[in-house]
Amino acid sequence: MTTAADLLSKSAAAMAESVRGGAVSATALAQAAFARIEATDARINAFTARTEQRALQRAADIDAKLAAGGEAAQALRALPLLGVPFAVKNLFDIEGLTTLAGSKIEREHPPARRDAVLVQRLEAAGAVLAGALNMDEYAYGFTTENSHVGPARNPHDTSRIAGGSSGGSGAAVAAGQVPLTLGSDTNGSIRVPASLCGVFGLKPTFGRLPRTGSYPFVSSLDHLGPFARSVRDLALAYDAMQGPEAGPIRDPGCLQRAPEPVAPLLQDGLHGLRIGVLGGFFRARATPEALAVVDRVAAALGAGEAVELPMVQAGRAAAFLITNSEGAALHLPDLRTRAADFEPLSRDRFLAGTLLPAAWIARAQRVRRLYAEGVARVFERFDVLLAPATPCAATPIGAETFEIGGQQLPVRPNMGVLTQPISCIGLPVCAVPVWGGSEERPAPLPIGVQVIAAPWREDLVLRVAAALEAAGVAHAPVAEPGAPT
Amino acid sequence: MTRMTPGQIEAFVDASAAALDLQLQPEHREGVLRYFALAADMAALLDAVPLDPHVEPALNFVPVPPGKHRP
Repeated sequence: MTTAADLLSKSAAAMAESVRGGAVSATALAQAAFARIEATDARINAFTARTEQRALQRAADIDAKLAAGGEAAQALRALPLLGVPFAVKNLFDIEGLTTLAGSKIEREHPPARRDAVLVQRLEAAGAVLAGALNMDEYAYGFTTENSHVGPARNPHDTSRIAGGSSGGSGAAVAAGQVPLTLGSDTNGSIRVPASLCGVFGLKPTFGRLPRTGSYPFVSSLDHLGPFARSVRDLALAYDAMQGPEAGPIRDPGCLQRAPEPVAPLLQDGLHGLRIGVLGGFFRARATPEALAVVDRVAAALGAGEAVELPMVQAGRAAAFLITNSEGAALHLPDLRTRAADFEPLSRDRFLAGTLLPAAWIARAQRVRRLYAEGVARVFERFDVLLAPATPCAATPIGAETFEIGGQQLPVRPNMGVLTQPISCIGLPVCAVPVWGGSEERPAPLPIGVQVIAAPWREDLVLRVAAALEAAGVAHAPVAEPGAPT
Repeated sequence: MTRMTPGQIEAFVDASAAALDLQLQPEHREGVLRYFALAADMAALLDAVPLDPHVEPALNFVPVPPGKHRP
């Protein structure tokens, strides 16, 4: 008999199926998740708040309604994420908790009065919120070395970073604490931790999912999306979160499109897809290990053609400047009066960002448009493009530099160098976890590959990710985190 | 665009900080100058891109009807 604890290492879809069929209760599943969090989080530091009381109450409600039978039970059984525990980066509003966005400063603010829209939508799909997750302060970082609460640790090697800024979101899924989390991605903050923690991550098209009730970093570039250990789980969560907002307050950056469900399309396979491999910029900034995993994925997909993105360096520069300026301007009042309370690892970047000439930023937004038009032409010849998600596997916590292409570069701004040019123009991406490098260069840690498509084609990136998962090229095992070495 | 010299960066940072009433602490100053120089390098990359006046910024304003505003 499968116990709730056994189920925790399975997919969210399997958990929902077990609750639906009565093999396990939602309560037992929630209890198992909190037991796993309790047993592992001292080593991982993924959670910054646990919503145990709320989760157990909600799970008990689900169990009571299922037991009562009738139409209500039937309606519940139709929910795709019934009883599935999930957690969210601590920039999502959770009713009754203060939204920290990784900061010390926000601790002084009152609790949120309602849940973020995406939290509401996952719960409407049957999921059970288990808590809030560690992140880089105000999402400005790629390592989740949060000085206020300590670093999120990589469950596959706890001496190494989980990536960021949604580090807790990647780590909680990799550690088997919950099968599903939400994060945000402005320049790579879903794809980088997915890559380093060895899980699947989806950054949808810019403007697809509403951000209402989440703490902004850079409104011009912010995306929200899910992490999971299977492509099907990503698709179920993503489908549950799509659709226009009903309330009077809407995210002006969301295009409020009708849902375009992808879960029914996952098995459509690769037939007819034209797949290219990004070269130039994307190979020059990757280690041999990262290139080896991309080449393995390309070989599995029969993709041989190298593709250069036009203007990619200018595109990355545009994202850098827009982020630096817009992100910093948001915090100018606090930077004026209490700079010492900011994260020391990103404070000076924020301070510098307040000072950038307006003409640089106006130009960056126009270059971004021109770059997007150039890349749109590339997608007239290709359906899907591949690139490493990170230049290398997870680096040790505290590492200042790493070597790429013979150059020593600072880790913190460069871990997202391969993701930043893609989110700059809002393309949908699934980061798929690949292990083992190549026969010549075996690697014990995962590196993600970005599967990239034209805007609004999340179906294509998830179809390709599903094919890679089915072929055994990409997979996301649960880690048994040891003590830091 | 001519690259800013370290002296120009320092002068610009000090003048802009004063205009914004942002008092840079001595322990933050070195990092701020370093990151400003990095941003200046990025701006130089953008300046090298020819832009005709019809390239629109990648921003869209959404007008706000009555009843659709924040409380």
